[in-house]
Amino acid sequence: MRLNRLDLIRYGRFSDAEIIFPKPAQGAPDVTVVFGPNEAGKSTTFHAFLELLFGFKSGQHPYAFRFERSDLLVGAELELPERGPVVLRRNSKRTQSLLDASDRPVSEGMLTSALHGLTRDAFEERFSLNEKGLREGGERIAGAQGDLGQLLHAGLSGLTGMSQTLDALSARADRFHKKRGRGTVLKVGSDRLKVIGQELRADRLTTEKERRLREDRDQRTVAFDAADTALRQAHQRQAAGRAAQVWYDRAATIEELSQALSDLPDGPDLPAGAAAHVAGLIEKITALSVRITESDAEIAKLDVVITEHPEDVAVVPLRAELDRLDQLTIAGAPLMGRASTAQADLARRVDEKAELAAQIKDALSRLRVPDAAPSALALEPDALEALAGAVQQCLTAHQSLGAAESAADAARAQLGDAPVEPQDLTALRAAFDAWRGVADLSAAEQAQERALATRTKAVAGLPSHWSALIDAGLPARETLDDVAREWTTLTADLASARSDLDVRAAELAAATADHRAQEAAPDVVDLAMTEQTRRKRDMVWQRHRDGLTPASADEFEDAMTADDGARAHYLSGAEARQRLRAAQSQLQTAKARHDTAQSLYDGLATRREEAQMRCGKLALALGLAEDASPSAFVGRLQALEHAADAAADVVNAQTALKAREVDQNSARDGLAQAAGSLGLDTGGDISTVVHRALTLEDSNRKAWDKWQDGAQALADLDDRAAQCAENYDLAQAQLDRMTAALPLADRTVEGVQAALPDLRQLHQVYAEHGKLSTRVEALEHAIDALKTGARRLARIMGDAGDGDPVQVIDDARARLIASERSGEKREDALRRREDTVAAKQRADTDLANAEAELAACFKRQATSDLPPRERVALLEKRDGLRAEKRVAENERDAARAGVDADLFDEELTRLPDATRMAELAQAVTDAQDLRDTARDAEREAARVHRATLEAADRSDLATEQATLQEELREGARQAAVARLGVLAARGALRRLAAERRSTMLRDVEAAFVAMTAPAWTGVDVWSQSDGEKLVGIQPSGNTVPVEQMSTGTMGQLYFALRLAGYRSFARDMGPLPMVLDDIMETFDDTRARAALKLCADIGAEGQAILFTHHAHLVDLARDTIEGVAVVDMPDRA
Amino acid sequence: MRLLVSADTHLGSPIRSVALRNPDLGDRLKQASRDTFAKIIDLAIDEQVDALMLAGDIFDNHYPDLKSRAFLVTQLSRAADAGVPTVLIRGNHDALLDHRAHGALGEGIHLLHKGAPTVVIGDTAFHGLSFDAAHVAKSFLPDYPQRVPDKRNVGLMHTSLDGAAGHDPYAPCAERDLMAHGYDLWCLGHIHAPFERADGPVLAVMPGIPQPRHFGERRGGSVTMVTLGEGAPEYERRAIGQLGFGEASVDLSDCADQQQVLRSLRAVFLEAQEAGRDTALRLHVTTEHHTAELITELAAEVLEGVEGVFLDKVKSSPPPDQQSAESDDLLRLMREELHEAGFRQAALDELEALRLALPADIAGALAEEELDALLEEAVAEVALTLHAGDTA
Repeated sequence: MRLNRLDLIRYGRFSDAEIIFPKPAQGAPDVTVVFGPNEAGKSTTFHAFLELLFGFKSGQHPYAFRFERSDLLVGAELELPERGPVVLRRNSKRTQSLLDASDRPVSEGMLTSALHGLTRDAFEERFSLNEKGLREGGERIAGAQGDLGQLLHAGLSGLTGMSQTLDALSARADRFHKKRGRGTVLKVGSDRLKVIGQELRADRLTTEKERRLREDRDQRTVAFDAADTALRQAHQRQAAGRAAQVWYDRAATIEELSQALSDLPDGPDLPAGAAAHVAGLIEKITALSVRITESDAEIAKLDVVITEHPEDVAVVPLRAELDRLDQLTIAGAPLMGRASTAQADLARRVDEKAELAAQIKDALSRLRVPDAAPSALALEPDALEALAGAVQQCLTAHQSLGAAESAADAARAQLGDAPVEPQDLTALRAAFDAWRGVADLSAAEQAQERALATRTKAVAGLPSHWSALIDAGLPARETLDDVAREWTTLTADLASARSDLDVRAAELAAATADHRAQEAAPDVVDLAMTEQTRRKRDMVWQRHRDGLTPASADEFEDAMTADDGARAHYLSGAEARQRLRAAQSQLQTAKARHDTAQSLYDGLATRREEAQMRCGKLALALGLAEDASPSAFVGRLQALEHAADAAADVVNAQTALKAREVDQNSARDGLAQAAGSLGLDTGGDISTVVHRALTLEDSNRKAWDKWQDGAQALADLDDRAAQCAENYDLAQAQLDRMTAALPLADRTVEGVQAALPDLRQLHQVYAEHGKLSTRVEALEHAIDALKTGARRLARIMGDAGDGDPVQVIDDARARLIASERSGEKREDALRRREDTVAAKQRADTDLANAEAELAACFKRQATSDLPPRERVALLEKRDGLRAEKRVAENERDAARAGVDADLFDEELTRLPDATRMAELAQAVTDAQDLRDTARDAEREAARVHRATLEAADRSDLATEQATLQEELREGARQAAVARLGVLAARGALRRLAAERRSTMLRDVEAAFVAMTAPAWTGVDVWSQSDGEKLVGIQPSGNTVPVEQMSTGTMGQLYFALRLAGYRSFARDMGPLPMVLDDIMETFDDTRARAALKLCADIGAEGQAILFTHHAHLVDLARDTIEGVAVVDMPDRA
Repeated sequence: MRLLVSADTHLGSPIRSVALRNPDLGDRLKQASRDTFAKIIDLAIDEQVDALMLAGDIFDNHYPDLKSRAFLVTQLSRAADAGVPTVLIRGNHDALLDHRAHGALGEGIHLLHKGAPTVVIGDTAFHGLSFDAAHVAKSFLPDYPQRVPDKRNVGLMHTSLDGAAGHDPYAPCAERDLMAHGYDLWCLGHIHAPFERADGPVLAVMPGIPQPRHFGERRGGSVTMVTLGEGAPEYERRAIGQLGFGEASVDLSDCADQQQVLRSLRAVFLEAQEAGRDTALRLHVTTEHHTAELITELAAEVLEGVEGVFLDKVKSSPPPDQQSAESDDLLRLMREELHEAGFRQAALDELEALRLALPADIAGALAEEELDALLEEAVAEVALTLHAGDTA
């Protein structure tokens, strides 16, 4: 692969920039020095090259600051094996990012195969080197301790950390496990696992362990049951002892009570509370006797009261008449309450009524209708208010009419005469605006001048017939690019093909010579030749036998010798024949290659001639000489296109100016026509006349509009006055309708307005007079009714009834009250007498019952002379002794209940015994203690068994165990991987040393000596027990191990290794571009020259690209490397 | 009728992952199998299922502890007290369930075996067989009772159905024969990854291990709720385990700096987060510049800020195209070296030396048959370490 050109289309700060890497002349090394100052973008350029080859990395892009990441684009022309020059582009898409020159996606395989499967990192490591890498590489290969395999690997791959890698892997494995290592991961982990295992085994509840716990629990249960039985037995004996003691004591008590009862009377036990019952009966009998005596005295006293209060027959009619009078009312109030004042009130009301009649008469007089009925003018309030409203409506309408007529008269006086109406100048104004828009031609004239100047500048340097060339048609830019690219490509290909043809011709000549030489070799005899010599010998022998002459003998001898020689050569000539066949094959191959190269060359020559002819035609079309270089085509095309654009601009500017002049004339004609139609003077400066007319038109138009507004306002005021007159008429008609039925003396607005107060008074006085008449009439009716009632009451009481009615009524009311009180006393005495008689009868019955009950209390008891109280006390004492005896018997019998009979009898026989109960209590305490101890032991055993079963298992330990095992398992794998990796790597490095030493060591030595002479004269390889070691040789013949070399020397050794690695790769796989970034900036001139020569060696095998910002290195390169190409970094813009 | 089906609880068997080196996670999961079983009982009670099915391997032969049996009895009694009976059978890990040695389990807990292969609960007959040996080569199916007429019939079986790969061949049974036996539902155990098979109205359910113990059981972590109605049985898987295992891949080839690496790792971890349970993640990293050791350190740093995700293991490997690069002499020569008889013997010696130093329980990790895989890793590891450590 060769990089012919790198296109930085949109990348970093670069836009449409390119770096061309010229092909070297025949025989010169392919070295390009790219010169640019610091920060010129060398790193950017290398990055772009990597992204072209391997695609853009994902994520944020370091060079996407001027252009968006999606817009980044790089390209290159690469020379690929078996494909030749290919133009490729790369954008930042994730897929199909590799494009051809027409932006069509192409397969990545094209580059992958050309890069021999190298990854981006591997390419960067192998085919780039900078000063830092050189320095660090030198330092790091010291770690290899001269190991040949590692050093050659470093040279091949660019990777210098092999030693550290192997050490790191070994250290990792050792950290996990090392023989006799105490702190290794494995040792620590294994120890912990042992501890965990022991703890888990100890904690695990096995069947056997559980059985032991269960049996212990069961044994404790049996022991507890026995102790519990013993305790129960002790309790039983204690109970038997206690029962025997009770039996013994109660028997003695019963005997004493039987003795006491024998002195008391017989008879059944008294019921409970008998003494209290007897006492109660005695008290009851006494009380009842007293109550009967008191009742008899009360009855006699009540009979006296009844006699003193006889019954009154007038009570009922008096109450009825008085009730009727109480029902009578005056004006809603009871008559009786106001009977005494009714007479005086009647007189006062009659006077008030006469006064009101006089006021009515006065009002009618003021209204000037004294004879009119008051009811005809006593209007209701609503009618009065409506009448007042109609009067007010008439007054308001009259005032409005006066005001409107005054305003109209004032406006008419102010308006004055009408002015003259102005003319319509719209058309004139439009024409004036149109004319003013095209009045100025200076802008178009200036544009025309500018276009002429631009055209003059554009055609400077062009042939005189430039416009004819443009008219004939210019070739397309793409056509020029294609032709120029084809011509350049064909020229380069032709040179390459010529070179190849020369090489093939030389190869053919060499193969021909070799074939001839092999053919000429004496031992190149094939089987046919031996058969031919044998046939010739036999034929000559036959002739010799026939003739037997000396001549035939000689001839036979020669033939026999030739045959023997041929056979001898045939037998010894297998290798020569093999060589001949190889030479023949090589000759054929060389011929074929030569023919192919010749054919390719001829084809290319033909195509280039055709391209040359196309170039000539295009040159003529562009106004160039027929043999002009295609590189000039684009510039000329651009100049011609520029001239064509400028010429077109001139034509456009001239056309625009003419069009504007036409527009101006047309506008002037229109303006004159509009002015003439309005009668303006068109003889002089028409625009000035029109401008003045348009200016005056504004003030005239304003005066006319103002007069029209005033006339309109006057018309509105007249309309309003007419409306007010109409409203006044309507109000007057309404008032007339309302007063038509009233007997008024004056029905005008003013008359009605003056009568309104009298009408309001008449309405009020007339209403009061009506109310008072009604009241006087009611009073007179009431007084008549009162008199009638008084007469009836007098008749009931037996009086004459001619007195004051009120007094009669009061007497009747007093008579009624006295009779009612006497009747009440009589009724009360009768009721109390009846109650007392009934109470006496009940007391007689109760007394008889109490006496019978008292006798029943002593029924079936022995007879006695004692009064009831003493008798019942004696019987109660007897019953108390009987009860004590029964209790003692019950307690005695109860003491045996539930007690073992045998134990009871046994204990009873022991009595009396004062210490027996204490002995039994102690026995119970002892048994209790034993039982409690057994119970605790049983519970503890059960708890332990249960707790053991229910305990949380040691999952924490099991989990830690599992986790640790996982760690160790993974750690063991990693350790094994590390150890096996080291093993495999060391084996591979030995193989590498064996495989590459023959091809690389010479290159390493040559480069190392070239770089370090005269301090070092060569390198050598020592075989040691741990592998082959590279050493340096000094002029004195001393050998120095690599790790003992100075840092600078090791850096140079590393460079030598990289150079050898590059050459090895180039030989095996084919060359790839090697990028060296200012690796010589710390070298002195001598070392730099040597390094540059080595770069030339790279260029001899493949392509070397040197970036530098040191001008003196550029000079040194020009001085040191024949035909070196020097290019500048492109501008960033 | 609603049934909660579980199997393979392996009580007492711990989780095996380096992720448990995290103290919080280790503490949370130290009783993972017990805690998960208690959650199963809680679920059965909360959902008021008609019965709980346990299709064998309730215990683990590697952790024979009668405390686990006591725990089981306590939990199943809790369910029974809440009205949820349990039907269970023994699997190949259930020596602790030997009723002859340890007695009955309690009221409402039905261990089915040859002497009592059927129990009827409500309108459903449950059939099951428990075998005593850890390895049974023949099918249990011919010994299962016939279908009980006029009842729904549910079978419990611990079996490597159709000789499931990756599991001990325990009582292998053909799926076709199983589905044709006449039962309505089969509750199966032994295979730790859940699955369901339906054949017309017949359903077979393998609920899987409720709490996965290692990466190989990452598909587990569930129980199955089955509803027996008029038509075919319906089922629904319910997640139950506290920790799940997952794997994720991340390509760090394009990461220009460590910050990008950290960002990429964080994105992977956030994606692995699962609501309601922790995740132990196995991470496959494609990179040319980062060893597994370095990735593990960086991942630990990132995981401090990511809830519920923990690192199980890191596998770091170079991009595939680099592994086969024809131009890489070292790779080529290392691969050639692997085929040398002398080298293989030396490699076996190295392996044996390391294996002999390991505790016996984990010595299998470095068995001879692992050599080829280890060598492949070794070659990749050398390349990775070399590129990671060399920027020249």
